[in-house]
Amino acid sequence: MKTPSDENHDLIRWLDGEMTADERRTFEATLQNDPELAAEAESMRQLSESLKTHLPAEMPVPHADFFNSQIQVRIAQMDLDEAREREKAAASTASWFSWLRMPWLAGAAAAAAAFAIAGLVWTQNSSSGTSTIASTYTPNPAVHAQVFHSSDAQATVLMLDGLEPVPAEKKIVGFRVHRAESDAEVATTTLFDENGSIIAVVSKDAKGQPTLLQ
Amino acid sequence: MMNEEFRMTKEYPIPKSEVHPRKAWLRAWCFLILSSFLILNSSFCPAQQPAPVPAKKPATDGKVWGALVYATTDAAKLTGSSEKAPENQKDLFGRLGKVFMPYTHFEIIGQHVQDVFREYESWVVPSRDLFLKIDSKGPAPDGGMNLHLQVWREQQVLVKTDAVLHPGSPLFIGGPKWRDGQLLFVLDLAKK
Repeated sequence: MKTPSDENHDLIRWLDGEMTADERRTFEATLQNDPELAAEAESMRQLSESLKTHLPAEMPVPHADFFNSQIQVRIAQMDLDEAREREKAAASTASWFSWLRMPWLAGAAAAAAAFAIAGLVWTQNSSSGTSTIASTYTPNPAVHAQVFHSSDAQATVLMLDGLEPVPAEKKIVGFRVHRAESDAEVATTTLFDENGSIIAVVSKDAKGQPTLLQ
Repeated sequence: MMNEEFRMTKEYPIPKSEVHPRKAWLRAWCFLILSSFLILNSSFCPAQQPAPVPAKKPATDGKVWGALVYATTDAAKLTGSSEKAPENQKDLFGRLGKVFMPYTHFEIIGQHVQDVFREYESWVVPSRDLFLKIDSKGPAPDGGMNLHLQVWREQQVLVKTDAVLHPGSPLFIGGPKWRDGQLLFVLDLAKK
């Protein structure tokens, strides 16, 4: 004997076209003998048609490119973490005592010490790392971000192409901000010049967009 | 007579503690004047106010220097800004020239030294026209810092990016064209 939940399950499978030919024939015979089930089937069929009519088959993910880039960054970070863990595990399994028996240990140790000293001197006299860009997202589809590293300039470059030019008649006024105070309670940042005078206050409006008050 | 007095006393006893109505009015006025004086005194006398709580400085992860730079091919087209690059950025214009060709002349329009707050957003605002929002994502190896950056042009965000900044390895951002040249944004992490 079929329970109501079995009937519902069959009904959904019938609506979705998942039944075999035999199952469909059997179920449609059941529908003819059960007016209540037939009414429910008709109601669900109409609801399904209505949903198909009003909703698109595929919904676009909002800001898909940014979403994808964030996922790629996370995956890259996870891969890096796993690789580091593997390196650590491999290093820990190596026996220190087996190295001590090596005849060339003294020479290798001296070379390593020399390299270490040279490295220390080099790191003190140069920058220890290069800045990198992991991901970019431009809300305006007309704007394209291009990232590259310039060895000549020793800088990382983020080039924004497709930006609307600033009108030539617009006067760009620069600030010289010496320090800033942030007030978390009212979500404002006050900018001061070197004399302690307030230059501007940065706050955000209801949309979360920054506003500068002078 | 005695009987009448006795009867009145018994029927209308006046308790000893009851105050005459005129005295009650006087007492109410005195209370009102005294309380008004106390309120006024507490409002205007600074010695009575509690000491202000000193503002707690938020934790920081580092410090950045940001600048808005105007690049052009013609020295006569410079705006005449008097802003000077800091000592550790003396070769900035030479480095910019290697990236942003064909521009040969550069000038700093505005600059901003900013703490990167650990828990709050930080703003680098060398100009009200082009500025930067920074969210710290914590330290990176070799003295670097993981940052989420947003470049804003007034109320429009131009780009959002995740970056790892290292001291001495600045980030150059090529911004919009302006007049005969281009506006550039420079962001550099200060050494600790």
